[in-house]
Amino acid sequence: MSQIAIGQYIPGQSLIHRLDPRAKLLFVFAYMILVFFSNHLYSYTFLLAFTFVAMFLSRISLRIFLLALKPILFLIGFTMIFHLFLTKGGAVLIQLPIMTVYEEGLKQTVFISIRFILLVIMASLLTFTTSPMDLTDAFESLLKPFTRLGLPVHEFALMMSIALRFIPTLWDETEKIKKAQMARGADFESGNILRRAKSYIPVLIPLFISAFRRAEELALAMEARGYKGGEGRTKLRELHYTHYDVWLVIVFIGLCIGLWLLRR
Amino acid sequence: MQQQMTERHHLTKTIFLSLLGGSAFLIQYFDFPIPGLPAFLKIDFSEIPALIGTFIYGPVAGIIIEFFKNLLHFLFHGSETGAIPLGQLSNFVAGSIFITVTYFISKKVKGLKGLLWGLGIATCVTTILMTLANYFVLFPLYSLLIHLTFADPEKLAIVLYGVAPFNVIKGFFITLIFIPLYLKMKPYLERHISFS
Repeated sequence: MSQIAIGQYIPGQSLIHRLDPRAKLLFVFAYMILVFFSNHLYSYTFLLAFTFVAMFLSRISLRIFLLALKPILFLIGFTMIFHLFLTKGGAVLIQLPIMTVYEEGLKQTVFISIRFILLVIMASLLTFTTSPMDLTDAFESLLKPFTRLGLPVHEFALMMSIALRFIPTLWDETEKIKKAQMARGADFESGNILRRAKSYIPVLIPLFISAFRRAEELALAMEARGYKGGEGRTKLRELHYTHYDVWLVIVFIGLCIGLWLLRR
Repeated sequence: MQQQMTERHHLTKTIFLSLLGGSAFLIQYFDFPIPGLPAFLKIDFSEIPALIGTFIYGPVAGIIIEFFKNLLHFLFHGSETGAIPLGQLSNFVAGSIFITVTYFISKKVKGLKGLLWGLGIATCVTTILMTLANYFVLFPLYSLLIHLTFADPEKLAIVLYGVAPFNVIKGFFITLIFIPLYLKMKPYLERHISFS
């Protein structure tokens, strides 16, 4: 359960943890676009090296990153097999009676696996070192200019933080309801797929009703404390850029120049 | 006084929608693969909270729930395609089409019949649109972003024997669960949300 409670966040005090969440968010998005410009073995090696340095700086154990890669192993394997056997071009590397592996196929396989790994590790690095709440604050702060265009940025952030705050509560509640129904003889594990699907109805109804009650109570409580929308609100925790974030910009420019020099 | 009341109802609505978004995100964890279909197509009931929201506050509310569900999923799990989360995006589009169609048809035809027709037609519309979207938009995008390129006959096979039946089965399961659930919840909701 704790996994869902905090998302993938791993608290820490490393350099990466201490970066401003806004800077991290922008960097990761820019980096993910940058990855698509990489088209050569050298540039991929360059980005891989950078990603490894970032992983090292985050002081998060390699094992956790490997766990994050597990869900996409299937996809990587699938594309690998696909490209190995079906992409044609270049010299023939392996000639077997049932299949032929071409140079181009091998190249594509390696590149795509690296691209997958780069994207997933960078995204994990962001969610490992930034709590969901910080990310929400970063979103709100970055989207603030759009308030003038009529985008309800504050409400978006409010909804996001309420959802994040209550996900563990809702999960506990679901577990409690499930146990209560099991005590009454409900069976969630056996039976065919139709029966199992239908067994969720008595769990979902109390869940939604209690969610509604909670919403009413929370609205009343917020109003009693004088909540009146986003305008003029102050924050408990404010975000501040530090000199580390300037370094992040410099690193990004370095990455761009490096990639530009290495591309063919 | 009157204004204060509507303000609180607006706040209740905002909070309820975020809680429904959160529960939709949680319900996604109770997913199961359908025997005989590719493993990346998994059935879950995360459309149910969005439908509840839609029937209380209208289709925009449902779309907001779909949005938060997928945003949370993206934040917690990331995406294979980096900054452009194709999987979550297609789930969002499919869910939004589904609830909007259901809503408008069950507004036209009253009662249980409307609900049945709405969910049935929504299933068909979603299936057709998502099949087309997969073939013409999503697969090309996957090929562009992660070089996962399929030849046309294979693409057609995956779409026709994977995506299309998946959406039909998913619609069927949602109908199977949502109708008894909604009928049971309706009296409660009508008593408490008479203002909307």
